[in-house]
Formats: sequence, structure tokens, C-alpha cells
Amino acid sequence: MSTPGPERVPSTVKVDKTSGQGKPPASPAKAAGAKAKPGAAKGGTTKPGAAKGSGKGRKPITPVKVNGGRNWGPIMTIGAVALVALFIIGFGTISVIRGSRGWEQKVADIKGVVNYRAQKNPLIDARDHKDGTLTYVTSPPVGGAHNATPQNCNGDVYDAPIANEHAVHSLEHGAVWVTYKQGLAADQVAVLTKKVQGKDYTLMSPYAGLDKNVSVQVWGYQLKVDDVNDPRIDEFIKDTREVAALEPGVSCSGGNTTTGPVTAASTGTGMGN
Amino acid sequence: MTVSTDPEATPDTVASGDDLTPTRGRRSWILVIAALLVGTLLGLGIGLVVPHLRTPGDNSVEAGFLRDMSTHHAQAVEMSMIVHEKSTDPEIVYLASDIALTQHGQIGYMQAWLRDWNLSPSSSRPPMAWMPDGAGAVVNGLMPGMATPAQLAALRQATGKDLDVQYLTLMRQHHLGGIHMAQEAVKLSHNKDVTWLAGTMVTAQQGEITLIDNLLKKLQAS
Repeated sequence: MSTPGPERVPSTVKVDKTSGQGKPPASPAKAAGAKAKPGAAKGGTTKPGAAKGSGKGRKPITPVKVNGGRNWGPIMTIGAVALVALFIIGFGTISVIRGSRGWEQKVADIKGVVNYRAQKNPLIDARDHKDGTLTYVTSPPVGGAHNATPQNCNGDVYDAPIANEHAVHSLEHGAVWVTYKQGLAADQVAVLTKKVQGKDYTLMSPYAGLDKNVSVQVWGYQLKVDDVNDPRIDEFIKDTREVAALEPGVSCSGGNTTTGPVTAASTGTGMGN
Repeated sequence: MTVSTDPEATPDTVASGDDLTPTRGRRSWILVIAALLVGTLLGLGIGLVVPHLRTPGDNSVEAGFLRDMSTHHAQAVEMSMIVHEKSTDPEIVYLASDIALTQHGQIGYMQAWLRDWNLSPSSSRPPMAWMPDGAGAVVNGLMPGMATPAQLAALRQATGKDLDVQYLTLMRQHHLGGIHMAQEAVKLSHNKDVTWLAGTMVTAQQGEITLIDNLLKKLQAS
């Protein structure tokens, strides 16, 4: 390895230089080596300029026979290895790119998901704590000012509507809030319950006046569907649950566990941040 | 093979070795460069792929354990926070804060590893699917040892000695389920971090069960 190393350096340097000095010897090399163009010139025009002189005579004869016969093996091998290498690189790159795709891209790719984060609506982006009843721009809400106490979201299944003001705080904590049209058939509610019960960073409640049977939301993203078995619901939960939190590591415990509208004194058990 | 011999020969053999040397020299250089390129590409490819082969995948025992144990721990934090706020027994209050802080901290470890491995905290597979016969142990989405919504509601209502006894009983059950899962992870996983954390869970929670039993005895005697 020591010999080709140092020699490779001058040879590549020379190509540039020889464009000035070595043009005359380079052109016969081209003419002789028919297909061997710049690559061959690199090797051929190396140090010994004299070699060209001696080479001139033989070149027309030798390259044709020898090159064709002898070098197929290595070329095929290298070609095959190069193909394998490219294959591995392609596979690797794709897997790396796909693996590093953020959850935001994954959820945005789900058909029907509305990305409210992209709208930069200050009313949705607001994160301050406010007492009492609050109004929201979407129904159900996907963000905005909220009560100091979140709704408990450790896989809690509420059988009556809960306060938006608490639920929005849970969204800030990374919870997926599954809502369904109030009065949805019990067997359909049961299907949804299975997606939530026992799973931290999720909560579920009926929602009055919902325009579709089901609406699933995290902070800034919402998906509305009519079929409780729609696979997009699971996909939405898988892609957003917990990672949608605006504060990593924040808990879904210690929140409000009652249903009904927000009360004036709903300080709950604290943990509001 | 020709690659290694020919380049060395270039300057000298050009003069001495007659017939094919100039062309062979050129060929060799192409081969050397091609080999180097292929080697570099291969190296890049391997470098890209290998780190992903070395971290656990989406359906691995490790990912399943970290996800499920995070959920399992979250309920222990939930119950402990209720009791930490409402109990009047200093020993129970301390135990509750110890469990809540430790398990919430461990959730942080587990979530960070999933993140390191480029895995989502959520799986499309059912809970406990990483354990042989695990899925059968899940009742209404609850893993072994987890309290039911009704039990949690009762705990939120309870006060005084009743609260303490309910908490200790639920937490004892919770630990037993957690220990079982952690033991399985130690057995099934080859990831050093995961087996280490799961191993410490087994030891610590077994110790806490002894403590819980003593506290229960004391409460029942009072």
C-alpha cells in the first residue's frame, strides 16, 4: 500500500500540470488506447515520459488483445461488488431517512388529518392558564389557553362530556383525546374504549354537537371520521401519543377526574404547568 | 491481485518489463481507483446500516417492555400521587413519594431509549405482545397488577386508614405484576441497558413488597 499511495498523489497532480507540458505525449496515448481517455491518461502519463516513446510502437497491437481478455474478471467482480454496495447504501439511506421521519410528518401523511400547528393561529397556539369558561376556535378544541388543571389522561374513559378547558391542558401534556358524538351506539363506544383504557397519555369522552361520529385530537392535530373501525384512528394514536407533548416527560396523572363543565374553583390536585 | 502488483511496477517495469506494461499500468490504476471507490461506498453503506441493526427494532422485546413498563409505571405514579396528597401517615406519604419519583424517573429512562432507537412510544401491537403468552394476561387493556378504573375511583374517594390500606394493597398487586414483566425482560432481552434497568426493578420492587407487608401488618394491628 505504501507504494501506490505516494504515487497516486503525483499522478493526479500531474494530470493538471501535463495539460500544459505533456500535451504532445498525451494525445498519442489517446489515439492509441482508443477508449481509454482521461483515466488512462492519468496512469499512462505518469513520471516516465520516456515510457511513451517505447510504448508508442506497441500500443496499437497490445491493448486490443490483452485488455479484452484479461481484465473481464476483475471488472465483473468490481462491478458486482459496486452493485451490492449501491444496494446496501440505498437500503441504508432509505431506512435512515424513513426511520428519522418525525412524528409530525407521519401524522400529516394520514389522510384527513388537519394540521392546526401549521396555521400559526395565535388563539390555538396560546398556552396560558385561564380560569372559568373559555371559547375555542375548533370543535373539539386542539389547543389554546386552558385551565390550570389538566383532565386526568392515564387511559381514563369518561362516560359524560368533560370540560374543554381541562382537556386542552391534557393535549398540552401529550395526550390523545378521543371524542365521539354524544349518543353513539354502545357497541361502537366499546370499540373506541379498547383503544384508550389502560393506556397512559390517552383519554376519551363523549362530545356534544360533534359533526362526525369520532374526532381524535392532540395539540394542533385533529382527525375526524365516521367509522369507529377506521384504521386511521389507530394510526393517529400511534403517531402522536405522548410525542405531541409540548413538555417532554410531563405526566398525565394528578388531573381532574370529574366530568361536566369547568367550575370556578376547579384547581384540582395541582400539577398544572 | 493484479491490482496490487501492477501499481508498484509502474515506474520500473515500464522500463524493464516490455510488452503490456503501459496499458496494464493504466488498467491497474483504474482498478485501484474503482476498488477504492467501491470500498468507500461499501464502508459508507455498512456504516449507515449497522447502527440500525444494533438497536432493537419496533417489534423487539426491548421496545415492547419499555413501552408497556412505561404505561405500567404511569399508573403507579398516578396512585402514589393520590395517596401522597391525601394520606396522613408519614411512612405512607414517604413510600408514595418514593414510588412516584422513582417510577417517573424510570419512565424517563425508558422513553429516552425508545427515542434513541428512533422508535415511537406507541406500538400498533397489543400490550404484552413481546412476552410469550403475554397478551392473554391483559384484561380490558390492563396489564398484570394494574388497578381497574373502579379501584382507582375508590382510592380517590378513600380517606384515613382505609386510604392507606387500599393503596398498599393495590401497590403490592401492582408490584407483583411489574416484577413479573421485568423478570421476563431480563430473561428475554440481550440489551445491557434494558436488562440492567429491569433487573433493578425486580430487586427494588421485591424489597418494597416486604416494606408494604410490614406497613400493612402495622396498620391492621392499629
